[in-house]
Amino acid sequence: MSRKLRTGLTAAGLLGPALALTCLFLLVPLTILFWVSLNEGYPASDGAGPLSLAGYVKVIADPYYLDILLTTILMALGITALALFFALPIAHFLARSQSRFKSVFLLAVILPLFVGNAVRAIGWMIALGERGVFNTIVTGLGFGGPYKIIYTGTAVLIGAAAVNLPYMVLTLQSVLERISPAVEEASISLGATPFQTWRLVTLPLMALGLLAACTLSFILSMNAYATPVLLGGPRFRMMGPAISDEIIVKNNWSVGAVLAFILILVTLTLTIALNKALTRGIAAPAR
Amino acid sequence: MPITLSRRGFTAGGIALAAAGFGTRPASAQQQRMVLGTYGGDTQRYIEDLIVKPILEPKGIATVIEAASDAPRRLKLQAERRLPRGTYDVVHNQAAILYQLYQDGLLDELDVSRIPAYDKILPVVKTGYAIPHTVTARAILYNPAHVSPAPSSYDDLWNPKYANKVGLINPHYNMALSSAALTSGGSMSNYEPGKAKLLELKKLGVQVYPSNEAFGQALQTGECWIGLMIQSRGIMWKRQGVPIEIAYAKEGVPMDWWGFGIPKNARNKDAAYEFINASLTVQAQTGWAAAMWSPPATSTGLDALDPQLSRLMELPEAFRGKLLDVDPAYIAKTDGANKEWWDRVFKA
Repeated sequence: MSRKLRTGLTAAGLLGPALALTCLFLLVPLTILFWVSLNEGYPASDGAGPLSLAGYVKVIADPYYLDILLTTILMALGITALALFFALPIAHFLARSQSRFKSVFLLAVILPLFVGNAVRAIGWMIALGERGVFNTIVTGLGFGGPYKIIYTGTAVLIGAAAVNLPYMVLTLQSVLERISPAVEEASISLGATPFQTWRLVTLPLMALGLLAACTLSFILSMNAYATPVLLGGPRFRMMGPAISDEIIVKNNWSVGAVLAFILILVTLTLTIALNKALTRGIAAPAR
Repeated sequence: MPITLSRRGFTAGGIALAAAGFGTRPASAQQQRMVLGTYGGDTQRYIEDLIVKPILEPKGIATVIEAASDAPRRLKLQAERRLPRGTYDVVHNQAAILYQLYQDGLLDELDVSRIPAYDKILPVVKTGYAIPHTVTARAILYNPAHVSPAPSSYDDLWNPKYANKVGLINPHYNMALSSAALTSGGSMSNYEPGKAKLLELKKLGVQVYPSNEAFGQALQTGECWIGLMIQSRGIMWKRQGVPIEIAYAKEGVPMDWWGFGIPKNARNKDAAYEFINASLTVQAQTGWAAAMWSPPATSTGLDALDPQLSRLMELPEAFRGKLLDVDPAYIAKTDGANKEWWDRVFKA
């Protein structure tokens, strides 16, 4: 047996189990879901009708679902931007910190991941309610109120950004740790301001990490379920809860399956497009 | 002295242990196992305390409780419809959903000869496919500090004085629609007139809460002053200190009920009948009434109820002749369209 063949067989042997599991638990269910999406009226129709793309056409032509999709995309962009706004300084601080409490700070960032999304959302419900911590403080300080935050898009924005924050911080911090402080120091010694140093030196060097963090946050936000349901309330609509509602509450599996595939396609397309746009931006020479 | 164990000895020991394990199997097999699909929280706790522990466990029936809301349970039954053996042996659902499940061919027609207390079930909630567990009246909950005089009609929710302080609950869209229908020429078998009426309420200002608990909290904090709810919840919240009173509508008092059904593909139907019979015992019926403030569904349960408790749950004299049945066939026929309207038009 040639060495090349042996290496190939070893690779196949190592990849095989993971591939088999992926096929069994991802591709097979996705195939079934796709079949359901082509069966308009399923389960009431019991799959007796002809397979067609009519369900997709109906959903795409329906302003109600388009509105939900648009809200989801805008929310995912907003959540990513808000999480990035807070994650950048925290990641910088952690990466450059020489403090002996650095591991404690890091633990403080990771700790929220020990608590489930739903539990954290319930915490936000208490904090953002009409008689919650936020309104009590604001009203107490004489800034008017109480303000209606819970069961609005603002509450979802805050709650989901908090969910994504640890992932963003950890991704950015690991990238920033690899950038030598000497490079930034060199830039400053050559007369650049701290902001110029950050924009022209640090940012290009951390760009790929930034891209990874934003992609992660965007995908998580597009598929968010617990946070929009608990903090957005009955009138706020995003794709995750809408899919669940169609399948579980309205018993309309085919529309739920169509929405699921549209969400997968839109998330993939936008992720690729954003990656390409940002990569092009990174590759462009800094001025 | 150090113990040395050869590979052969280790294997032999393992086999011996496994054999010992097999040996214990017949003893555990004597215990039957059943799976109940029910609600979580208090409902699960009281089913365990009133039915499972005192009645089923002494008979050697171990009950596994799978807690979820109505909709996921229905979904699972439908997803498993082609399987010869499903997850649930007994399902606990609202009357309209039990009817839908039965219509969809997912529930067994009950063998009433195996249910000795079947004749004692109140006629208004007696069916051939489900055993009622709790019955409760629809009520108007209001905060007397802000709502005066006390409401006497569903139409009082449309009083402009209470704009933005009226609460409805998202999963109870049928309750909102039917109440609006009753006050605008509709009936329990025709919710259509209620749609225009609800849009008037939307124009005036109405809060839609995601759950019973959120509505209860809003009543507690004063964010909401008046809304629709079942009587048993009203009594529970009032006793917990929520500043509310309970009123009923002159248009009629719909009776909602919840019960148990046996799926066609249940694994252990013998245990399922044991569970159903246990739920109909006087002990379980009165215990439930004392814990959850909803009247028993059997005449024997009603007769045995503590008079003080009975007074707490009984309807005022004027409303006893105004009880209305929920029409499950109408709900099954219109539910999809009504939910669409609720989501797309009312909540938009």
